[in-house]
Amino acid sequence: MTEQQLMALLPFMVLAAASIVIILLIAFRQGHTVIQVTGFLLMCLVIFAMWYVRGVLPQTIAPLLIVDGFGALFTGLIVFCVLVVGLFSYIYFEEREENPREYYILIFLSTLGAAILTISRHFMSFFIGLELLSISLYALIAYLRTRNNAIEAGIKYLVLAALTSAFLLFGMALIYMETGSMDFAVIAQRLNAAGKSSALFLTGFGVMMVAVGFKLALVPFHLWAADVYQGAPSPVASFIATVSKVGVFAVFLRFCQELHLQNNSAVMMLISAVAILSMISGNILALRQQNLKRLLAYSSIAHFGYLLVAFLPGNNTGVEAAVFYLTAYAITILAAFGIIILLSPGEKDADSLSMYRGLFWDKPFMAIVLTVALLSLAGIPLTAGFIGKFYVLTAGVEQRAWLPVIVLVITSVIGLYYYLRIISTIFADSPVTIQKERSLNQFFYTASYAALVVLTLLLFGIGVMPAVIIQGIKQFLVIDR
Amino acid sequence: MSKLVYLVPLFPLLGFLINGLFRKSLSKGLIGVIGSGAILASFIVSLVLFFDVKSAGAALPVEPLFTFINTASFKIDFAFQVDQLSSLFLLIITGVGFLIHLYSTAYMHEETEAHFGRYFAYLNLFVFSMLLLVLGANYVIMFIGWEGVGLCSYLLIGYWFKNSEYNYAATKAFVMNRIGDLGFLLAIFWLLSKLGAVSFVEVFTHLDKLTPGDITAITVLLFVGAMGKSAQIPLYTWLPDAMAGPTPVSALIHAATMVTAGIYMVARSNALYSLSEVAQHLVTIIGLATALFSATIALRQNDIKKVLAYSTVSQLGYMFIGLGVGAYTGAVFHVMTHAFFKALLFLGAGSVIHAMHHEQDIRKMGGLRKYLPTTHWTFLAGCIAIAGIPPLSGFFSKDEILAAAYAKNPVYWGLGVAGAALTAFYMFRLYATTFLGNFRGTHEQEHHLHESPAAMTWPLIILAVLSIIAGFVGVPEVLGGGHMLRSFLAPVLVTEHHPEIEHSTEYMLMGVSVALAAIAIIIAINKFSKKPQLEEPAGFGKVLADKWYVDELYDAIIVKPLNAFAGFLKNVVEKSGIDGIVNGVGRFVQYSARQLRLLQSGQVGSYILFMVLSMVVFFLVYWNQAMITHFFQKIF
Repeated sequence: MTEQQLMALLPFMVLAAASIVIILLIAFRQGHTVIQVTGFLLMCLVIFAMWYVRGVLPQTIAPLLIVDGFGALFTGLIVFCVLVVGLFSYIYFEEREENPREYYILIFLSTLGAAILTISRHFMSFFIGLELLSISLYALIAYLRTRNNAIEAGIKYLVLAALTSAFLLFGMALIYMETGSMDFAVIAQRLNAAGKSSALFLTGFGVMMVAVGFKLALVPFHLWAADVYQGAPSPVASFIATVSKVGVFAVFLRFCQELHLQNNSAVMMLISAVAILSMISGNILALRQQNLKRLLAYSSIAHFGYLLVAFLPGNNTGVEAAVFYLTAYAITILAAFGIIILLSPGEKDADSLSMYRGLFWDKPFMAIVLTVALLSLAGIPLTAGFIGKFYVLTAGVEQRAWLPVIVLVITSVIGLYYYLRIISTIFADSPVTIQKERSLNQFFYTASYAALVVLTLLLFGIGVMPAVIIQGIKQFLVIDR
Repeated sequence: MSKLVYLVPLFPLLGFLINGLFRKSLSKGLIGVIGSGAILASFIVSLVLFFDVKSAGAALPVEPLFTFINTASFKIDFAFQVDQLSSLFLLIITGVGFLIHLYSTAYMHEETEAHFGRYFAYLNLFVFSMLLLVLGANYVIMFIGWEGVGLCSYLLIGYWFKNSEYNYAATKAFVMNRIGDLGFLLAIFWLLSKLGAVSFVEVFTHLDKLTPGDITAITVLLFVGAMGKSAQIPLYTWLPDAMAGPTPVSALIHAATMVTAGIYMVARSNALYSLSEVAQHLVTIIGLATALFSATIALRQNDIKKVLAYSTVSQLGYMFIGLGVGAYTGAVFHVMTHAFFKALLFLGAGSVIHAMHHEQDIRKMGGLRKYLPTTHWTFLAGCIAIAGIPPLSGFFSKDEILAAAYAKNPVYWGLGVAGAALTAFYMFRLYATTFLGNFRGTHEQEHHLHESPAAMTWPLIILAVLSIIAGFVGVPEVLGGGHMLRSFLAPVLVTEHHPEIEHSTEYMLMGVSVALAAIAIIIAINKFSKKPQLEEPAGFGKVLADKWYVDELYDAIIVKPLNAFAGFLKNVVEKSGIDGIVNGVGRFVQYSARQLRLLQSGQVGSYILFMVLSMVVFFLVYWNQAMITHFFQKIF
């Protein structure tokens, strides 16, 4: 391994070290606040390290990893999400019965898994990253171990994720059997040489798709999403919604780009079908939902359906649209979960819609942030969500993927219905006041508020001036060409 | 220097915001000061700009404020243009506008604070829109002002919104204007699609890129817009109804602002119009027809404001005749003199109405000369000016138009002079019935008759002086003048041509029109000062009094069928068709939501089963994909 390769891996090494540092802090009996602050600084250090190594990209670390602009982009997004989730976690766990310190170890390990996924170019690193991500998640979901919901959600996720991991391995084995390699680039070469994609490869890809679909909560592998979102502690749910999905999407996108699967009509048909089913079922299931966390789960199913529409073209616009959409979606969903976390009383998460009735009259600031987030999810102009959806639509139209595009437009209208339903609840008369003691830690409470303000401003900023972000994304992606 | 121009519309905008937002907390005096002061400030800036333009002899360079619309194929700046034409209009709008504001502070003093503030806010917004209209350096900015003026006229005509008839009048004005606006809008689109530019400079320098067909279409469409805003046949019916608003509003709409927008637009586009024979003929004929037609209606109206309203429509007709025959200076000149004497007449009428406690029927007036001396003398000056008696202003401007019409076609001149004689006749019928003879109102009204306060009489006096002397800026060569206005405007109205008419002919033309007007005046005074027309009109007079039944005609051929069609759409198509589909879709989606939820049982086993089953389905599809692709290709 050369010096440059080592340098390129620096951010990931810092990330790995983060968990160890936290373990040491626990060993030295440090409190929650110290751990929280250290974690925050470590994440900042990761970002700094990424900035520091920007000159040596792209670097291939054969055979497992490749650190390039694409990977840096997704890793950056992941670390950003973890920063925000970590900040919100402090308030949340201060008020829960469980000792929160080990939580940070798991979060950082899981993040490392997601980050590895974004830079993997080999089935091995793909699988290791995915397992690193999942195994920490089992514990994270069931972290509040005395609560039935949490245990149930954790077990469900464990059983289903184990099953899909088996499918993933089986799919990888089939592809290996066909091509004799687990390296994405070599697989692509062999497939090209063969000319026509064989049934064995297609079967292998289809089986792998089960695992990917499961992690991204795509129909028909979406059934866990609502139960897990509801049962998991809210910060963990927001972690699943952002970090875990970004990582898996990144590796899936890289795999498909590397193999030029967009030219393979059978694969495209499969992905279009999944996209269409996700858009329809996600939106329809959310329609009558009374639980905000479940509703966000269903809406995330629909949103990843939209995202697949951007994925279909496989050209540069498509990739840019997908990254942009993910960024907008991550910011939006973090803002929404941030509100849930801040409003949740200690004994139960604030997930029932009835708790939000008339929120505006009681806590106008939170109501406005949540409204903006919901409008962004619905894709209303002036918010990031609108630009993201518009970008995705452009990518889809350019490729003449008419059926998915039409479904996207129609289901967006259905989506508008339930987002507006929540907004109208927020602004309804006769408010239900949520009694909540806020004496715990004024500093972190203010910091969480500040994070929400930043997220909201980002939502508007990206909605009004998307060019800045789009230029940034293009610059990163240009490195790889 | 170039930034100064942005102050002109800024002051009224600020006035609008302050009066509009704080109308409930400001006192009436303060509201009046803010409202009038904003316009006065604009007027002072306009004066500075005017003299700058005059000394420079060319348009002032003005930086665009910002880029308004930017697309791949065209770019529209938010830019102003200050040249001879717009600076002259600035003076008219802010000058006369200021006097009307001042007058309003006294005229509207009976209103409560909040309504008083609303009134001045609308008034300022109106002036702001009008300033935007004349300052815009391209058709789009002009259109913004154009629409703003339409909106404000709606708000002001319906100012007394508790009266549903007034609201109807306001709606009518708005709808009629919208019909015209459509023409204007289409013309802008046409220009954009053919030239990719809408700024005056660019359009007029690239006229060679347009085919004659394009030019005719654009000019005719622009003229349709002008018809709506400047109340020409067939879209004139809103203007007489617009009398529903407070009288100073009528003065503002009819004299200084709104109705002159069409004239301004055509004069501004003179380079286009000069290239289209068809459009020029159309403008002339419509103008002529309107001038004569509304003059006949004015003969038998008994509402003091209605007479003035029809006279406005008629005078606008003259302006369009001037535009049609290429006498652009004449038309702009007439806009200016008309602004003075028509504002004077309306404000005078307002003073009369004020004294008569909101009585507007001239049959119940008479002999007001004794009670309202200032109003009487100034009103008389206005009447003489509009009748075209030298040396008052109306004579010079009208004569210039008529001379140009003669050069084009003597028939135009003949009809124009006939209309001028009618004008003199109905104006002096109005004057004689109102101010001469004996008072015919109730005893109580007579008891309360009084001259209006100084805030109302001073504007009258200033406007009267202007009506008398304004003609001297355009004394034609034949009478020994240099026609300052023509040389001033020449750089903008480049396509104007000055027909050569023998001096003797010109003397003859003037002599005939003045003589006819004088005869009409004498007949009118003799006839109506002693024995006014008090009875209900009969026979042909009734047709005139009922305005040739044009409103009824529009009602029968447009409004009623449209209403019937709308009723059909509402009751049949909407209820059974659209509603059914929409609600059906909604019900279907709700139904599927209920069914899909059944899958979310919470049982891990069933989740796994579902996942595996769907994978099996996918593989079945895989293996039979040839068949399925074929199937899909058949569908799409």
